[in-house]
Amino acid sequence: MKPEDIHKKINKIDRELLVLLQERMGLALRSKKFKQTQSDPVQDNDLLARVERLNLDLIQSSFTRQLLKTIVEETKRLEDENRSLAAFQGEHGAYGEVAARQLVPKGAYIPCMEFIDVFRGVEAGHFDLGVVPVENSLEGAVTQVNDLLTTTDLKVIGEVKVIVNHCLLATEATDYREIRQVFSHPQALAQCRNFLMRNKLEARPYYDTAGAAKMLARENPRAAAAIASSLCAELYDLEIIKEGIEDGPSNSTRFLLLAREPHPDKGDKTSIIFAVPHEAGRLFAVLKLFADAEINLTRIASMPLRSDPGNYSFFLDFEGSDKDATVAEVLKKMEDLAKWVKYLGSYPVDRSAS
Amino acid sequence: MKNLKLASQETEQRTIVNVSGIEIGRDFVVIAGPCSVESEAQILDTARAVKAAGADMLRGGAFKPRTSPYAFQGLGIEGLKILEKAKRETGLPIVTEVVDPRDVSWVAEFADVLQIGTRNMQNFSLLKEVGRAGRPVLLKRGMYSTLEEWLNCAEYVLSEGNPDVILCERGIRTFETYTRNTLDLSAIPAIKELSHLPIIIDPTHSTGRISLIGSMSLAAVAAGADGMMVEVHPKPEEALCDADQALTPAIFSNIMTRLRPLKSFLNDLPPQ
Repeated sequence: MKPEDIHKKINKIDRELLVLLQERMGLALRSKKFKQTQSDPVQDNDLLARVERLNLDLIQSSFTRQLLKTIVEETKRLEDENRSLAAFQGEHGAYGEVAARQLVPKGAYIPCMEFIDVFRGVEAGHFDLGVVPVENSLEGAVTQVNDLLTTTDLKVIGEVKVIVNHCLLATEATDYREIRQVFSHPQALAQCRNFLMRNKLEARPYYDTAGAAKMLARENPRAAAAIASSLCAELYDLEIIKEGIEDGPSNSTRFLLLAREPHPDKGDKTSIIFAVPHEAGRLFAVLKLFADAEINLTRIASMPLRSDPGNYSFFLDFEGSDKDATVAEVLKKMEDLAKWVKYLGSYPVDRSAS
Repeated sequence: MKNLKLASQETEQRTIVNVSGIEIGRDFVVIAGPCSVESEAQILDTARAVKAAGADMLRGGAFKPRTSPYAFQGLGIEGLKILEKAKRETGLPIVTEVVDPRDVSWVAEFADVLQIGTRNMQNFSLLKEVGRAGRPVLLKRGMYSTLEEWLNCAEYVLSEGNPDVILCERGIRTFETYTRNTLDLSAIPAIKELSHLPIIIDPTHSTGRISLIGSMSLAAVAAGADGMMVEVHPKPEEALCDADQALTPAIFSNIMTRLRPLKSFLNDLPPQ
């Protein structure tokens, strides 16, 4: 091994140590939500005895004790900060985490496998907040999330539009001229189809954009790259070969911030879901209430009701708060016209992106 | 010139190459910037300065074909990212050289115009590759090449389906040693007779002397060139290449103030 290779390897190990510590801190913050007293590894002689049996000749038990003590102290300090646990779907670096970082600036961001894990986790109190995508400006509604909004009881307390900025990422050792395969979520690959064709790159579908970046960093497959967010480049120590490689005009995804309790303040945008009986003019009658009250609708979407095939639920976003008198009156009149109305919440509108 | 099916004058009307709204072949287009991309600060400073002086596009080399293999070879893709950043800030389109056929599609992702340098004029595999890259090509004249050889190289690019070729006269080798090369000003009207393609001049590499660049720029305007490409560096004495022929932003700005009135004066002359 050449001296510079040894040096590189040491740097890589240091990085991995920190990533593991970050993961440990996240788990500690999560376990606190279960209100169980954790065992203190410094006091835990069993654990120390087990570590000693590892027979690590370069790691002395006094050093182990000192290191664990430092880690435990830092964990306690973090717990005292009382950060909000914000769950998102995907691996670290997913666009959901990009949204979570904007919506919850000083949070702890917890990755979940599925959207339903985010919803159930917030409902059960394992997380304080959830961040989920509802619609993409090019691809339309995220049906799974919209379905979960219908069937769970969480409140919407915020929104953010995240501009999707796809980056071509590769490990530092990869020569861009040698890249042949590009791993990413099928939707991201589809949005960069022309870029891939221009550079004669083969699209390889992967379960997640951030997951592809993580795999690249861990396994370093030959001649491979990933399409993911620039946050992934930071988190997984990857090089950004090219930013903004999507073909069309840049698209954005709207994320909602979910909590168990509604937003404490008035808010200036409101989301509801409702269903109407199968009768001529019923949907029109509901929409007319908003038109007559001069309330501007910002989103109308319909989705088949899974519990009731042949019928639809309607998603409505509009300007104004449920605490406004005009809005309150419209919502009250709606109760008579609709089969059911589900109030998701009033929250501050995201004015940053259009 | 019987093999010039696409580049010769008879076939069609004059080509106008549109680069983000800048029309080469209609206006007098000025491309300015350093020989090579050295750092973000250097490129951003230059981009702001040349834009303020009235330049239309930014040049800068990320891949450098150098006479010596030990000379600075360029920052590569890092240099392209810096140029892209300068474009985002100033809006100036980017002209940059490509030297390796394997790099062409990647350089095309960052650049608005692909430059083929004098040493690569007859690199036919490179010409075919840029012919397929979907970007305008700025083709410099080989320093030992005749006009016919040059136009045949343009033909290579055109025959791959890329109609946007800009020719650039950058001086040819003669027995004169006071100047680095000899600027062939007669190439401008000659090319206009022979071809429909736009032609610009490079007064930097052709003279190699700062003191001659201003006069040659004005001469190019008078001879009917469609533009010029000139090297400007915020601190020429610190440049990593071509240090003794890069203009300071102040001298460049002075040339620009003399050049525009001459152009409008020429526009008012009665036709030949």
